[in-house]
Amino acid sequence: MLELRNIKKSYDGVTILKDINLKIEDGEIVSILGPSGCGKTTLLNLILGLTDADQGQIIFDGKDITNVPMEKRGFNIVFQDYALFPNLNVYKNITYGLKNKPDISSREEVEDFIELLGLKPHLEKKIEQLSGGQKQRVALARTMVMKPKILLLDEPLSALDGVIKESIKQKIKQIARDYHLTTIIVTHDPEEALTLSDKVMIVNEGGISQFGAPEEIIASPRNNFVKEFILNQLEIKKNNIFSLFQREMAAQAV
Amino acid sequence: MVKRKEREIKDIYVIVLALFAAFLAIPVVRLLVESFVEEAGIGLAYYSEVLTERGFTKALANSVTVSLASALLATVLAFILAYSIQYTNLNRKYKSVIRTLAVLPMLLPTITYGFAIIYSFGKQGLLTRLFGVQLFDIYGFNGLLFGYVIYTLPISFMLIHNTMGFIDKKFMVVSRVMGDSNIATFLQTVMRPLLGTLAASMVQCFFLCFTDYGIPASVGGEYDVVATVLYNEMLGSIPNFNRGAVVAVMMLIPSVISILLLHYLERYNVRYNKISTIEFRKNYLRDGVFGTLSGLILLVMLSIFAVIFVVPLVQEWPYQTAFTLEHVKSVLEDNSLFGVHENSIFVAAATAVAGLLVTYGAALASARSSLNGKLKSVIDSIALVTNTIPGMVIGIAFMLIFTGTPLQNTFWLIILCNVVHFFSTPYLMMKNSLSKLNSSWETTASLMGDNWIKTIVRIVTPNMTSTILEVFSYYFVNAMVTVSAVIFIAGARTMVITTKIKELQYYTKFNEIFVLSLLILFTNLIVKGVLSLVIRKTERKK
Repeated sequence: MLELRNIKKSYDGVTILKDINLKIEDGEIVSILGPSGCGKTTLLNLILGLTDADQGQIIFDGKDITNVPMEKRGFNIVFQDYALFPNLNVYKNITYGLKNKPDISSREEVEDFIELLGLKPHLEKKIEQLSGGQKQRVALARTMVMKPKILLLDEPLSALDGVIKESIKQKIKQIARDYHLTTIIVTHDPEEALTLSDKVMIVNEGGISQFGAPEEIIASPRNNFVKEFILNQLEIKKNNIFSLFQREMAAQAV
Repeated sequence: MVKRKEREIKDIYVIVLALFAAFLAIPVVRLLVESFVEEAGIGLAYYSEVLTERGFTKALANSVTVSLASALLATVLAFILAYSIQYTNLNRKYKSVIRTLAVLPMLLPTITYGFAIIYSFGKQGLLTRLFGVQLFDIYGFNGLLFGYVIYTLPISFMLIHNTMGFIDKKFMVVSRVMGDSNIATFLQTVMRPLLGTLAASMVQCFFLCFTDYGIPASVGGEYDVVATVLYNEMLGSIPNFNRGAVVAVMMLIPSVISILLLHYLERYNVRYNKISTIEFRKNYLRDGVFGTLSGLILLVMLSIFAVIFVVPLVQEWPYQTAFTLEHVKSVLEDNSLFGVHENSIFVAAATAVAGLLVTYGAALASARSSLNGKLKSVIDSIALVTNTIPGMVIGIAFMLIFTGTPLQNTFWLIILCNVVHFFSTPYLMMKNSLSKLNSSWETTASLMGDNWIKTIVRIVTPNMTSTILEVFSYYFVNAMVTVSAVIFIAGARTMVITTKIKELQYYTKFNEIFVLSLLILFTNLIVKGVLSLVIRKTERKK
């Protein structure tokens, strides 16, 4: 279980996060949802260990890891732009960490990740030859080989288009389920957050607006921000799609 | 913000700073001190002495006049060359010939151009004999102008050509469909975005002419410029280091002003979000005019370079013009001459390696570390300062401070001097490329268990190959051709080709001068050729 207690962070006197308290259970998929500039990426960096908190504690499995450096925490991240290494091919990217920690994943496990993410036909390819979705899957595989205790994903779907988005969503869900892996996702898209995760944390102006299961958020939005900015967006989308399908049905009826 | 310890990068930062403190700050301060210290204490006596002298004020005025004229001419000619490439429908092969020839003068030392001009336009010159009449008097203003223009044309061309490449050509279409006249389109879509660069080119060329020593050393004649005055004060028949230091400071002032001006001009650069190319309108007149003009410019330039090939390959210019390899052979056999070629190659290669390490380290610290912004800006300031200080000034400062130390008369001194002197451009190249690399690589790699050094070796360096080779080539070529700084610090055992050429001038051994110049040219051509081949290969592989 990951727990954040009274986390505070500010840059140059500007408060980014104030008084963040949060508990994430093992194997949960949690989305951090909010508009740009709300502090969600900072929160992700705090958990990863890239950024130090000004105040508060981070507890993982009962141990205080607030002052444990990034490399020692055993968490891992897939960045929004994937940060794949262009001088190495797909296979070498995936197995990059094995050069440093040869025993972290066995040959079979690596094969499994490659199989699961459908990367077999692409192993010899250069990074630039890949599509956005393929890059995302390579980055996921590379991270999974490191057997992270928590998987962090920074806007994993925002660079992808329609159909691919849905298939990557499925892969993320499958990985979290199969490996019982705590997964924390940062996103600005309510639809993504609410359809992908077990729990959603809505962040606004440096604080947590609401933290709960998607159904809870839909059923009982806790404040105006959640209502106006999160639910309203989904409402508009829903109506657009409904009217689209109604027209289609009307056409069929005629 | 970032939590990684970055021990290594801090060490590198300290080393870089220490290097520039010892080989830039201290020598230059020492030079300044020299200009103020009198027998009775500190004062401005040397300044008033030098500045009130007719000789110096005349030389200063000469320097400014001829540098301004050269800068203007070089910029106009460079514009024509760049325009021919970027805005006409000339044949692609012809364009690439222009591109190649325009930068050729960079591969030779300036002192060689001077002698080449003498042998082209002098009384017995190649071109004078071809035309049957001497076209103009070469010693003094004309010769300097000619030499400076050849010297600065490549730099101006590269600046303008580069900016033109980053101008969004689609705006020409927009301007035309909005009903602009041809002139208005030209002014609005070509000249306007180029203004900053044209001004920058003027300033840069002025700075280079003002501080060059090679050209006045050969064709200056009675027309004294600041560089010749400075040389005579330091190494002339009656050396006076104090007065020399004053002249050096006087050379420094316009340099500082021009670099500050360059910095200021940067804000006039127009940035386009996207660069698109268009098909240029068919216009045979435009293509013809620019094709011809470019051809003429390059022909004149090449005709001057022709003598470098012709003179040493005939028996005795201009009286016995039968072909011979005798002069080449005798240079190759004479160890006192061919030996300096080996020295030059050693110095250039060592400069390139050392320069590479220093610029890479400095750029890593400023582009890929979480060091404090103020600390990073110190490195940027160092780059700015090295860009400001003329080679002659560094050379003199080194001479003043390292004479009597174990470093005196060593190759290390020359190498360090070159590394410091040419730091600015390659540092910026490195920093630019490094900051374009994905900023999450180090974090990602460290999550995969890499330490910092490992990441640099496994990820960053492989993705920097072409820039690293370009930096190597920049340092190598510049170290091969530079004369202004090394002339003050090269000793008898540490002669390089350019200083040897200066020495040979006393004995009027021009055959040897040209053979040595050819050695520089071919060495540079080979190094540049091989490196650009490798660069192209790595780029294609990506």
